Amino acid sequence: MSTRSFGSLFMVASCAGAALGCYLVSLRVASERAALEDVETQIVSTQSDLRLLQTEIGTRGRLSQLERWNAGVFELSAPAATQFVPNGFELAKLAQPEREPDFHAPVVLAAAPAPPPQKPQLGQPATDESGAPVAAPIALLHQASLKTETREVPAKAAVALPERPAPKSANKPVTAAKPALPKSVDKPGLAAAKPAPKKSVDKPALATAKPVTKHIEIAKVDPLAPLPAKHSGHSKDAPTGR
Amino acid sequence: MNAPQPALVAPRPERLRLVGQRRQTLAIMHQRLMFGMLVYAGLVALIALRILYLAAFGDHAGRKEELTALIPDRGDILDRDDQPLARTIDAWTIAVHPTKVIGDKLALAQKLAQLMPEHTAGQYFALLRSNKPFFYLRRRASPDLVEAVNALGEPGLALEREPDRLYPQTTLAAHVLGFTNIDGKGASGVERAFDAELSNPETRGTPIVLSISSKVQQALEAELGDAMQHFSAIGAAGVVMDVHTGEVLAMTSMPSFNPNAPGQGTPDQLFNRATQGVFELGSTFKPFTLAMAMDSGTVSGPGQMFNCPEVLPAYGHLVHDTHPFGRMCSVAEIMMESSNIGMAQIADKLGTERQKAWLKKMGFLDKPEIELKEKGRPLTPGSRWGPFETMNIGFGQGIAVAPLQLAMGYATLFDGGIYHPPTILKIGPGHPLAAGRRVFTADTSYRMRSLLRLVVMRGTGKKADAPGYRVGGKTGTAQKVIGGHYSKSINLTSFAGVFPMDDPRYVIVVMLDEPKATPETYGFTTAGWNVAPVVSRTVSRIAPMLGIAPDMNREPNMSEVLPYVQDPKQDAKKD
Repeated sequence: MSTRSFGSLFMVASCAGAALGCYLVSLRVASERAALEDVETQIVSTQSDLRLLQTEIGTRGRLSQLERWNAGVFELSAPAATQFVPNGFELAKLAQPEREPDFHAPVVLAAAPAPPPQKPQLGQPATDESGAPVAAPIALLHQASLKTETREVPAKAAVALPERPAPKSANKPVTAAKPALPKSVDKPGLAAAKPAPKKSVDKPALATAKPVTKHIEIAKVDPLAPLPAKHSGHSKDAPTGR
Repeated sequence: MNAPQPALVAPRPERLRLVGQRRQTLAIMHQRLMFGMLVYAGLVALIALRILYLAAFGDHAGRKEELTALIPDRGDILDRDDQPLARTIDAWTIAVHPTKVIGDKLALAQKLAQLMPEHTAGQYFALLRSNKPFFYLRRRASPDLVEAVNALGEPGLALEREPDRLYPQTTLAAHVLGFTNIDGKGASGVERAFDAELSNPETRGTPIVLSISSKVQQALEAELGDAMQHFSAIGAAGVVMDVHTGEVLAMTSMPSFNPNAPGQGTPDQLFNRATQGVFELGSTFKPFTLAMAMDSGTVSGPGQMFNCPEVLPAYGHLVHDTHPFGRMCSVAEIMMESSNIGMAQIADKLGTERQKAWLKKMGFLDKPEIELKEKGRPLTPGSRWGPFETMNIGFGQGIAVAPLQLAMGYATLFDGGIYHPPTILKIGPGHPLAAGRRVFTADTSYRMRSLLRLVVMRGTGKKADAPGYRVGGKTGTAQKVIGGHYSKSINLTSFAGVFPMDDPRYVIVVMLDEPKATPETYGFTTAGWNVAPVVSRTVSRIAPMLGIAPDMNREPNMSEVLPYVQDPKQDAKKD
């Protein structure tokens, strides 16, 4: 009974609810549309501002003003016909640095990785590509007659330094020759205790003690010399410190 | 019988009658009530429906119309590189409603005089006391001034924003752009010629793109302005035009005005000498006469010889040369040394009718076909056009045309002989190249190249040469008519040049009105001394911008003319 008597009420309520729902959807759409329009209005007003600013910049930087500065203040003039270069190559030629021989520069010889040695067949002398017999590279190296004394400094000096944590070196694998203090290289007093350069790491004989004489980089192999057959064996025997 | 007769029919009881009446009244009342209710319900339903409709489909209160795109109140004008030349911005306006002023008027007048000193306090006070409803105090006021006026706090002062036309480059191309009047209508130049397009809401959203290049215009104006000042000329004009399309890249007239404040311009400043002014441009006409003669076959080529005496008597007059040959001379020499006597004979051989027909074909007898409204009508001898006038016109006297027309003529001559109407709009998708018409043959056009290059290499136009850019052209010095006679000392000098001459692309025409002699011109006021250097400097500046690479090794085929030139003189004094 109660259902029947409240039936119309439910009907009205559901109708009202549906209408409200529809209205809410419409309201939502309208508000979204309004927001969109606001954005559009904002865009237009920003465009208008941009236009105004561009106009202002254009007016302040007008060509007659630039001309006054260029001609009057900076005294610039249009480039002459000879100042134009026809192509990029000509332009690059203008920027070519002048080469002056630097007499004080250390002698640096290029070190090229040697190609793998070709083992001569049994019974044949070692030859280069042209077929000429090859002299041992040691024979082609001219050695100065003056021998400089080398002072041997015990490698212990490096160990005697006060130990400080070296954050950077912690990440790197510490090689046998390299002390744990990379900064000690900068100090002049410690030059004697300077660890061997990185390249010599693979040479354990030199890692322990280093001659004080000026370090000169020298090619392990004379690049101009004909490539030897037993190259690797010779290069190890060649003196590294002159 | 006297006894009262009982009523045969009992009368209707009063009560019943009343009941019936009431029922009837009630029914009517119900009816009316129902009607009223229906009307009311209908109204309510109508309103409800309207509300529902608005909720579903209507716009909200803050809706602004047509703000989805920025459409200025008047269309922009851009140059060919899309640099704005004219724009409409919202400017501040300061006005006063004298009747609404509530504060002390004297104090207000004093403060206004402090802020805007163009009027005195007394004038402001008189203005405030007048009973006029509205006055503009300042249009296009600066924001600082607006702030200061606002700080006065007087409700009678009105601060409003109104659209205002701004020309960011100020005087640049002022005569091309023109200006708008106080109502925002175009009053001259492009503003006037395209007023409908600029103000129509349908079309004003798309800017008008001119063929003018600001940079070229600036170079031309700067160099011409310097020369005008240096030689104390009373006026100057210049045109740079694309040979192949007829586009005007730069056009200037001096003295100039500021279109932002056109009211300050004098009539002389507002006058466009490049299109409105017609001048006898002198020897710059000679190449046309020669081209006509070569095209008609009356002159075979640069090698043809003419007798050039010291003075040529012709039709009851005497024709003079500034530097007479006094011998036989070739057409190439006549051109190089700008000989009036030689050119008069060529024009005479050509004849009046043919000359008229050619000039008509070249558009020299009508107003130029450019879009601008400020155009001058050329002056010709008209009915007096006889053989002597033909000779006169042959060397550029007796016919007055606008400098723009001269540029147009050179463009025609060096575009393979094809005439394109000059235009101020950029040739592009919206404005295609108009169909041209052939005036000269391509062969004549080609042969004129070396002749005009010769003038600059060896002849009167040596100072116009811009090294590397192969300028060719012709000087022109015309004596001005003062009081009905040709003045001996007052000149109008012009130079019409084409570059690069081996493949002509641009025409430049410059003109100085009444230049004075200076020490470095040795007292000469001829074109070779004053306008030719302007061309040289301007071409050196604009040619790289226009994409012409300087090349010292290129020249037109000079072997066509050099064999016919003897004894090249090294002076550039004569015209």
